[in-house]
Amino acid sequence: MKRGFLVGIVCLAFTLSLLGAEKEVYVVGLDAAFPPFTWVEEGQFRGFDVEVMEAIAELQGFRVEFRDLPWATIITALAQGKIDVIASGLTLTCERDQVVDFSLPYWEVDQAVLVREDSQLNAITAFFGTSVGAQAGTTGYQWIEDNLLGKAPGLSLRPYETYDLAVSDLEAGRIAAVLCDTDTAQGFVDAGRRVKIVGIVKTGEQYAYAVTGGDPYGLLPRINEGLRQLYQSGRWAELVNRYFPGRPVSPVPLKRTELCE
Amino acid sequence: MEALLRELPWLLRGVGVAVEVLAGVMGFGLLGGLGAAVLQAYGPRPLGLLVTAGERLLRGIPPIVLLLLVFYLPWDLPPLLVAILGLGLCSAAYQSQIFRTAFRSVSMGELQAARALGLSKTQAIIHVVLPQAVRRALGPWSNELSSQIKDTSLAYIVGVVEILRQARYIISYTYGNSLLVFCFCALLYFLLTRLGNSLLFRLEARLWVPGFVDRRGHFPTRR
Repeated sequence: MKRGFLVGIVCLAFTLSLLGAEKEVYVVGLDAAFPPFTWVEEGQFRGFDVEVMEAIAELQGFRVEFRDLPWATIITALAQGKIDVIASGLTLTCERDQVVDFSLPYWEVDQAVLVREDSQLNAITAFFGTSVGAQAGTTGYQWIEDNLLGKAPGLSLRPYETYDLAVSDLEAGRIAAVLCDTDTAQGFVDAGRRVKIVGIVKTGEQYAYAVTGGDPYGLLPRINEGLRQLYQSGRWAELVNRYFPGRPVSPVPLKRTELCE
Repeated sequence: MEALLRELPWLLRGVGVAVEVLAGVMGFGLLGGLGAAVLQAYGPRPLGLLVTAGERLLRGIPPIVLLLLVFYLPWDLPPLLVAILGLGLCSAAYQSQIFRTAFRSVSMGELQAARALGLSKTQAIIHVVLPQAVRRALGPWSNELSSQIKDTSLAYIVGVVEILRQARYIISYTYGNSLLVFCFCALLYFLLTRLGNSLLFRLEARLWVPGFVDRRGHFPTRR
């Protein structure tokens, strides 16, 4: 009884110290292999998410430092508090919501079906009796696993470490199609890779920034407020036009569509 | 190609980081491995068995798993340190085997002779066995160095920006060039390995104690 009480006190003190704490510099984790959202060029972190995060930090008066982590470790690293924020084109899902906390969404994407430039396949035939690829641990991969695998006859799914590798295999003819986020897919097409988009799967996914579960530093309200200020100041539209020419600008933060219990 | 040239300084920076990781890993492995080997060969039996158990365990775990284990420890360590610890533990286990066999190759009689001359066991190990054992260990040790150079490429998984991660950066923002960039990486690793081995080869030659036969096992020719 006495011991339980002591443990309780220690836990409470620990939680309080976490809640009250503010950090000098917050570590923002990203997977720098996801242009146009995140990449590294000549040693500098670049990309839409990098600039938005820097702007929010400036507006809300905190400091950030970026750290590159591969996709395979990034979510667990945030869940364990090795980093404080993820800003890396991360889709909000209920599964991820169990281990990390999300800000309000700022971006909407669907899944695009990429095939080779000279391919006759369409968005339907690409998934019958073929092998297709996606980056492991992404929502695109998950979508195929949940909706097609075992249902579409003869379909096999190959995981890749990055989307670039998947597209390389697609170009080489080793797989028939790649499913990836619409903006990423457009990026490959614009860069002159020998692929084309033949269809869009309307998944209506939303990107959001994420913090360690329980938001120990109280960052979520500041990020949400920062997004609002960024939109109102007009800088949001400026950034969207620069990184995604021709894409319509919608007011952020967006309304969250994915509701989890 | 232009991207590769423009990013060359950063790739070389990646080489620098890889060398830092390597130096840490080999240093950690050297100390750990030597200590473990001494305990295995000359230490009290229970301690020796414990060390052997640890060495068997570490040699049976893939380096990438060790890296992730160290990464997910509850302490906040900088990525470089995580890489050095993770890969270093693995290397220490392998190096202990290199040194253990080197110790064993020095005959027990020498140790007994040193003891008979009045040296303590520790003195005998340090002054008689170690100098011979280290010379004999250099060959296999250079082998371990070669394999560790290439294992530094695993450090990206814990967020160390070494050669391969820099390469990934180029590939992802130029949306391609995989073959060219990876070929260049292969060249970098090859050069690094050659350089490391030739330095060790020179060291081996310098430390060689001339006897009846030279390093190739031939009798020296009379001048």
